[in-house]
Amino acid sequence: MITRYQILFACLFLLAACNHNPPVRDSQLALMKTTNPKPLVTDQNKSNDSVKEIKKDVSSFPELYDVAVIKGKKDTLVVYKVKHLYRFKMKKIEKNVNKKLEKKYPKENFTVSSDYKIFLEAIRLDEQMKSAKFSHKEAEKRLKDIVKMTDKTK
Amino acid sequence: MPTTKQKNTTPQQRNYQQLQQKHEIKRPVLKNCLKAFFVGGFICVIGQAVSYFYIYFFDFTEQSVGNPTVATMVFFSMLLTGFGVYDRLGQFAGAGSAVPVTGFGNAVISAAIEHRTEGFVLGVGGNMFKLAGSVILFGVFSAFVVALIKTLLVIWGVL
Repeated sequence: MITRYQILFACLFLLAACNHNPPVRDSQLALMKTTNPKPLVTDQNKSNDSVKEIKKDVSSFPELYDVAVIKGKKDTLVVYKVKHLYRFKMKKIEKNVNKKLEKKYPKENFTVSSDYKIFLEAIRLDEQMKSAKFSHKEAEKRLKDIVKMTDKTK
Repeated sequence: MPTTKQKNTTPQQRNYQQLQQKHEIKRPVLKNCLKAFFVGGFICVIGQAVSYFYIYFFDFTEQSVGNPTVATMVFFSMLLTGFGVYDRLGQFAGAGSAVPVTGFGNAVISAAIEHRTEGFVLGVGGNMFKLAGSVILFGVFSAFVVALIKTLLVIWGVL
């Protein structure tokens, strides 16, 4: 007769066989862990120095811990995660980030968000842009879609 | 000094009360609180996982994910009530299973099951919201009051 322990052992044995460590993408765990993605420009012919500067400025806020910046032709998307204890002040933080960015970069058109979904989509776009199949045009279109999505979060 | 309530009782009654108090099992308040805390917390963890599922696989943002998550959690608890699992959980965790939104699903389905022998219209239909009706009523009313206050504050320029 098969005992309970034999079933347990069989299950563990079978499940262990499935564990062959497939590569884990950043987007798979972006909702739970810090990913800290590199700042991106959809048009890769342009330099991303200004975007790096933007990321540095946003990261300087002590309430934030994971910042993603994507610069398109018109819009610049800034997404961040807020530390747990500061989540009651989300609107104030967003206002401060917006204020600082608009003051320092008056020519840029910023879209600022702290929504997890927008962050996840930014990471996915980052991963897609790394593949050769994904063109600049597609990246720009995807960025526009993400920016449009931020309207729903307000 | 005896209180007014004790003054009205006979010595036999007082003796009986003392005897009763002696044998009465004390309510394990701390233990119950801990059970409710952990089970309620576990339900919330499941809710969080469901909301992450919707964010990850569908086009829901953090703002809009609340609606499908609540619907899913209520549906889960309705199924578990039907299978008789949620009742046991309720006996174990008390408020821990009743306070989260899953308690609402449990209240609806348990009332429906209780009255199903009385027919679908007057039994199930008439009594389904016997418990949950008050939740809906006061929920809608308090939402109306809060919305009214917010509207007034916006009109007055406070917000």
